[in-house]
Amino acid sequence: MEGSTIINVNNVNFYYDAFKALIDIKMDFKKNLVTALIGPSGCGKSTLLRLLNRMNDLIDGTRVEGEILFAGQNIYAPDVDPVEIRKKIGMVFQKPNPFPKSIYNNISYGPKLMWNLAKSDIDELVERSLKQAVLWDEVKDILDRSALTLSGGQQQRLCIARALAMKPDVLLMDEPTSALDPISTAKIEELIDELKKDYTIIIVTHNMQQAARISDETAFFYIGKLIEYNKTEKIFTNPDVKHTEDYITGRFG
Amino acid sequence: MNSISKAQNNSMQWRYFKQKLFFSTVRLSALIIVLTLGGIIFHIVFNGIGVISWDFITQYPTDSMTKGGIMPAIIGTLYLTVGAISVGLPLGIVSAIYLTEYAKQGKIIRIIKVGINCLAGVPSVVFGLFGLGFFVVFLKFGSSILAGSLTLGFLILPTIIGASEEALKSVPQTFREASLALGVSKWQTIFRIVLPNALPGIMTGSILGIGRAAGETAPIMFTAAAFFTSRLPGSIFDEVMALPYHIYVLATAGTNIEQTRPIQFGTVLVLVALVLGVDLIAIIIRSYMRKQKRW
Amino acid sequence: MNRQRKEKLIKIIFFIFALISIIILGMILFSLFREGLPLFKKISIYDFVFGLEWYPTADTPLFGIFPLIVGSVIVTIFATLIAVPLGVLSAVYISEIAPQSIKEILKSSIELLAGLPSVVLGFFGMVVVAPWMQETFDLPTGLNIVNASVILAIMAIPTISSISEDALYAVSREFKEASYALGATKFETITRIILPSALSGILTAVILGMSRAIGETMVVLMVAGGAAALPESIFDSVRPMPASIAAEMGEAPYRSAHYQALFATGIVLFFMTMMFNLIADHISHKFKQVGSGTL
Repeated sequence: MEGSTIINVNNVNFYYDAFKALIDIKMDFKKNLVTALIGPSGCGKSTLLRLLNRMNDLIDGTRVEGEILFAGQNIYAPDVDPVEIRKKIGMVFQKPNPFPKSIYNNISYGPKLMWNLAKSDIDELVERSLKQAVLWDEVKDILDRSALTLSGGQQQRLCIARALAMKPDVLLMDEPTSALDPISTAKIEELIDELKKDYTIIIVTHNMQQAARISDETAFFYIGKLIEYNKTEKIFTNPDVKHTEDYITGRFG
Repeated sequence: MNSISKAQNNSMQWRYFKQKLFFSTVRLSALIIVLTLGGIIFHIVFNGIGVISWDFITQYPTDSMTKGGIMPAIIGTLYLTVGAISVGLPLGIVSAIYLTEYAKQGKIIRIIKVGINCLAGVPSVVFGLFGLGFFVVFLKFGSSILAGSLTLGFLILPTIIGASEEALKSVPQTFREASLALGVSKWQTIFRIVLPNALPGIMTGSILGIGRAAGETAPIMFTAAAFFTSRLPGSIFDEVMALPYHIYVLATAGTNIEQTRPIQFGTVLVLVALVLGVDLIAIIIRSYMRKQKRW
Repeated sequence: MNRQRKEKLIKIIFFIFALISIIILGMILFSLFREGLPLFKKISIYDFVFGLEWYPTADTPLFGIFPLIVGSVIVTIFATLIAVPLGVLSAVYISEIAPQSIKEILKSSIELLAGLPSVVLGFFGMVVVAPWMQETFDLPTGLNIVNASVILAIMAIPTISSISEDALYAVSREFKEASYALGATKFETITRIILPSALSGILTAVILGMSRAIGETMVVLMVAGGAAALPESIFDSVRPMPASIAAEMGEAPYRSAHYQALFATGIVLFFMTMMFNLIADHISHKFKQVGSGTL
């Protein structure tokens, strides 16, 4: 199974009003791998990420051309419900954004609305999700406490657990550690390595070392274009494009 | 060199003098406002407190309203206020949800906003005429709690829309994104995440509208208010007495206007205590909430 | 697909509710026209608006509302002259000068002042201010233009102050800091930088304050004295339009010419305030500051 394509991006252009933010993007994301999207700010990496679960729909004045196939189906086809897509493609944001609810209710919020579950099933799901996010041991006795009392790193792992509770196939992460301290960052990186057994992970990061540490494949973007996309090892040791090398070695950006 | 620095010195003194003068004027105007409010309230309390008693607020008026209490007017005002809120709050919240959560910037939203502003500017007496022409005459409700509540409900609608919009906008965008990214639908996101977090703000903001509904006179003069009733209303199609109208009647058209002055002041005091009490609670809750802001 | 259709339906329902303000404006116009326009089968619009005599209950009734319009305009202008300096200066004080604790007190005072029911202010003007004014200035009556204007100003101050304050707050901090960095005093920064930048917002505030004053009913009903004639001095009584409507609607026989004339007065009042609000809206929209780069 590993290595088969889960998302194809075919000739995608994306516009904010008249501004063309992504230009003719073509790339395949492979199943059960961690793919890192890197590039200087404004290069379109976050925009692409948000296209994959149709979060850009929420912004007025945006327009997509081309198609993005998820499991063979174009998610921008007119009869596709973006809500269905987001169930299968979860997302973790730059800043931890737990709801002002208890830890338990943060996790159970989505599943309760989606499925008709018995209390015991929900309990189980909450526990499993928190264990997957390696947060269970820290919070198992305080599930009723407000999620906002947790530390930043814990909040971010809670948000990951919240996304996992929806049993997605793909997890999108938009600079998930940029608001965290180094210790919390390390924990999340370990977690990502663990999660790729079961999930496909696409992560936007501005931290080159992080991309090198955790990803299997890396895509480098510059001003709306995909410059180079290859195995991480290759990108960081012997990139094909000079531009990529300049960026990775810190010569610009 | 010496002369330049001296000139600068003079000029600085002059500049600071102007500043001092300006600041004094500004402080004076602030003082005038506070003193005006204080003066009015002091006058009302001082002259009105004497007639306030348990009987005053629990008894019917007697002797052609020259003696006795104001109970039916208090009850009537409560009815009308509750009625106005039941009309204005749901309409206002739903309206605000559309404006903040659904509408895209453009012509339509602009027209709606202009409409809300114009509605907010409609004089209260015109609302009274509207209530008379529409609810009392056209829909044949007669002068009644129903007609008065609808009129007042529409009157406070812009206040409630404004308060609700502000409260909805203050819910962080990240909450919406987090919920939508889980695959939760927009409607459920609004209902489960946005609205519950905005509700305290909506409520405190709307309380200021409640105060307005309780204190308005002109809109109920021709739509709901009775000069005198000997019993409490039995249904929403009955007329009621109301505190503001009662004040107006006693002060301008009652028997023995001079003699009933204390009762008038007492009634004013009750109304002011009701309205400002409610407003004050809203203001205190709001400033408490601002300090407690959780996100 | 089913779920999407449900979402779309919810959106449409919300949209309809969002139109409620426009719908109500339509209902108001409909009722005013339905009850008021038949008057113009009996007299011309010109005679109605510019007629100098208002004798609605005479044997040959005359329905000229020009003196009523003049009454409204005069008290509004005087009220504005009093309220604008107080309102704007208090806003400057709140947003730029006052220490935190005083700011809270002043803001609450202004909010409470806004919360005072108009009938209470009318009562205050009638029972407290009028006798004092009559005695002090040895006037035939204390119920006159000056008294009504002062009380109306009290009602308009909160509107002017709170909207101006918003406008002052909106002035970007960069402008202020740039000014201070050049060595300008606080006074100079306020008068040369902050006030000019906030001018459109303040203008909006003033117009909305005027709109509030021209439509206010209970104050002019109880305090302006009620003489339906062109005033010759500022201590004369006048009968502004809202006062005329409120005072006479109770006695005007249903659908008589008098009743229709009062509704027609309501139409005039409606469009006057509407005009004020549209101008205010236009100004605030047109000059809305887009970024710190545009002024």
